[in-house]
Amino acid sequence: MSTASITTKAGPPPSSASPSQPVLRRRGVNREGLEAGRRSTRTILWILLAVAMVLYGFPFLYLLFTSFKTPIDTIAVPPTILPREWTLENYTSALGRSGVVASFINSIQTAVISTLLSLVLAVPAAYGITRYKTPSGRVFIMAALVTRMVPPVAIGIPLASMMSSAGLADTPIALSIAHTTISLPLSIWLMSSFFESVPRDLEEAATVDGCSRLGALWRVVIPVVSGGIAVTAIFAFLASWNEFLFALLMTAIRSQTTPVVIANFQTQFGLDWGSMTALAAVYSIPVILLTLLLQRKIVAGMTLGAVKG
Amino acid sequence: MSTRNTISKLVTLGGLCTAVALVATGCGAGGPAPSSGGSGGSNSINVLVEAGGHAELTGVAEQCKKDAGVDVNFVELPYDGMFNRLSSEFSSGNVSFDVAALDSVWLPSFKDAVQPIDELFTDDVKKDIFPALVKEANVDGHFIGLPAWTNAEIILYRKDLFEDAKNKADFQAKYGYELAAPKTWKQYQDISEFFTKDGMYGTDVKGAVETEWLAHVLQAGSPMVLDKDNNVVIDNAAHKEALDFYVSLAKDAPSGAAQVDWAAAQNLFNQGKTAMTRFWAHAYRQIPADAPVAGKVGAAAMIGGSAGVAGVPGPWYLSVPKATKNTDAAKKFVKCAYDYNDKGIESKLGLASRISAFQKYQDQPGYESFKPLIETLNGQATATRPATAKWQQIVDTVLIPLLQKAVAGGDTSALLADAKNQIQDLLK
Repeated sequence: MSTASITTKAGPPPSSASPSQPVLRRRGVNREGLEAGRRSTRTILWILLAVAMVLYGFPFLYLLFTSFKTPIDTIAVPPTILPREWTLENYTSALGRSGVVASFINSIQTAVISTLLSLVLAVPAAYGITRYKTPSGRVFIMAALVTRMVPPVAIGIPLASMMSSAGLADTPIALSIAHTTISLPLSIWLMSSFFESVPRDLEEAATVDGCSRLGALWRVVIPVVSGGIAVTAIFAFLASWNEFLFALLMTAIRSQTTPVVIANFQTQFGLDWGSMTALAAVYSIPVILLTLLLQRKIVAGMTLGAVKG
Repeated sequence: MSTRNTISKLVTLGGLCTAVALVATGCGAGGPAPSSGGSGGSNSINVLVEAGGHAELTGVAEQCKKDAGVDVNFVELPYDGMFNRLSSEFSSGNVSFDVAALDSVWLPSFKDAVQPIDELFTDDVKKDIFPALVKEANVDGHFIGLPAWTNAEIILYRKDLFEDAKNKADFQAKYGYELAAPKTWKQYQDISEFFTKDGMYGTDVKGAVETEWLAHVLQAGSPMVLDKDNNVVIDNAAHKEALDFYVSLAKDAPSGAAQVDWAAAQNLFNQGKTAMTRFWAHAYRQIPADAPVAGKVGAAAMIGGSAGVAGVPGPWYLSVPKATKNTDAAKKFVKCAYDYNDKGIESKLGLASRISAFQKYQDQPGYESFKPLIETLNGQATATRPATAKWQQIVDTVLIPLLQKAVAGGDTSALLADAKNQIQDLLK
């Protein structure tokens, strides 16, 4: 909005005003106009955020409410949002089912191992690629994405056979390795963008102060990109935590993860919505806690590189 | 430095977690029971089963442990993923289970990966299993699976509405005969029409599942889709008659028939929105206690057509993979599953495969669906689905789309002719 238009809308200054007053008033009007504009923008943003929150949050809230419904309420036609009668029966039934607790432990083991594997491999790989800009590095980072281009089912069955041949059938470590194939390529890409945002001068200064290259990486660069590492860790953790297909193909008794157990509530003979949603709600808790715990780091990671220059 | 400290703490924590996780992994602490699948020579076996069937075999497993000393660990998987898992393990030749519960439609696909169990099919056994199942279990001259439980569609209806005096009088006045559980398809149509009022529907039409239409095909006197020589007969008069009848019910059913599947139809009935449904017999015992229709439902056998009563059985078979190293224990378990077949009836699903097991319970309260189920399974035109490894593909890519277009008003003759070409291409 131009100053001229604001002045026109504000009208002419009163005749009794001193010569400096019109200018001040014009500035005042300008400030008020800008302020009003900002308020409008903020209101629109809040509305958009609220809409986005509803769109993202509603499915989860619906899941949560369904987990407290009675069996007949879960299949009501037309469906109801809030339970007509609140019950904890679904939680008792889902958590009391054999194998559920073990599947939680398996999910945690698998996700933690997979996350650590991804970070241990992605951090040095991304650092090498960004700091030593070699042709092979560029080829590598492009090639890393190839696994993302192949449908998981195409590599799932061969991976399951390989793990079985390696004597790792039905172990969390086999599933963790499989999950790492999903998260590693994007972890490398994410970490590369974070390393790119760190000025080389920082490392050079550390080197001048007596650090080796690895020392500079460990003492200077990694602390700077810790937000990025948190983001990458969450991404890798979630990729493993929610993964279903590989878990379905590779696990049996010792390592079955919770997503498979949740899917087991849908059988050929019916769908136990109550228990399924109760277990899904419980399964969401660790991820929500992890996200809250690392929230500060995530925000830092998301803005990393935004003001580089 | 605080950031550095945080990183150090995180690394230490991560290291500890890894160590714990690896130790736990090595010790197998994350699982409910040690795996023995394919490890050989032990009396502990792994049984792969669809999640819904697990409860069916739990009682059998307990009894088998007592009688034969066989320890059973169940590997539960969702139905949708089971075929992939079986394909993957059978093709690798390295199986994690010693017995698999297979859906009947998978038997032809896995016939080369499982062992013949002819010795379990004695004359007495064959007499106590429904004829269609004995026939289906025999693939290429060998019995490769013993039915653990079976199911079939029967008629479920609202007894309270059928017994209501006003409804009886109104129906009598309108149609000239007494309102009762339908015995002919004409009666079924009349009753559906009668109850379609005031936000309620007489029946449902399921466009997203094929079994019901195929039962009508059998009732009309034709083999379903393929004849015994694997010729495609989907465009014959019986298929057309069955499809036209199926579509004709849509006017007395909830809208959106193309998307109605088993779950939707079951919900509609349990919510009291439909007066009748053709549904798998197990649903009778699974009506929630707090459902508006609980205690108000009657069961009747599937209705016959010109060829007699017919249903499409839905059995699951226990098979022993060739790759298992625990063949003896696996076969002992399969035998236990036959010997203690009635244990399944006491489970939540409440099904069995032996005629004698169903008969043992048929007169007990709560099991009123068993007589109609036995009658349907013994129906003279009852037959299992064609024994082709391509069956699931035919269903998913041809039959369901055909039904969905038909219930949406498509030209049934043209749809059937088109389906014939598609199936012939699939079978080439």
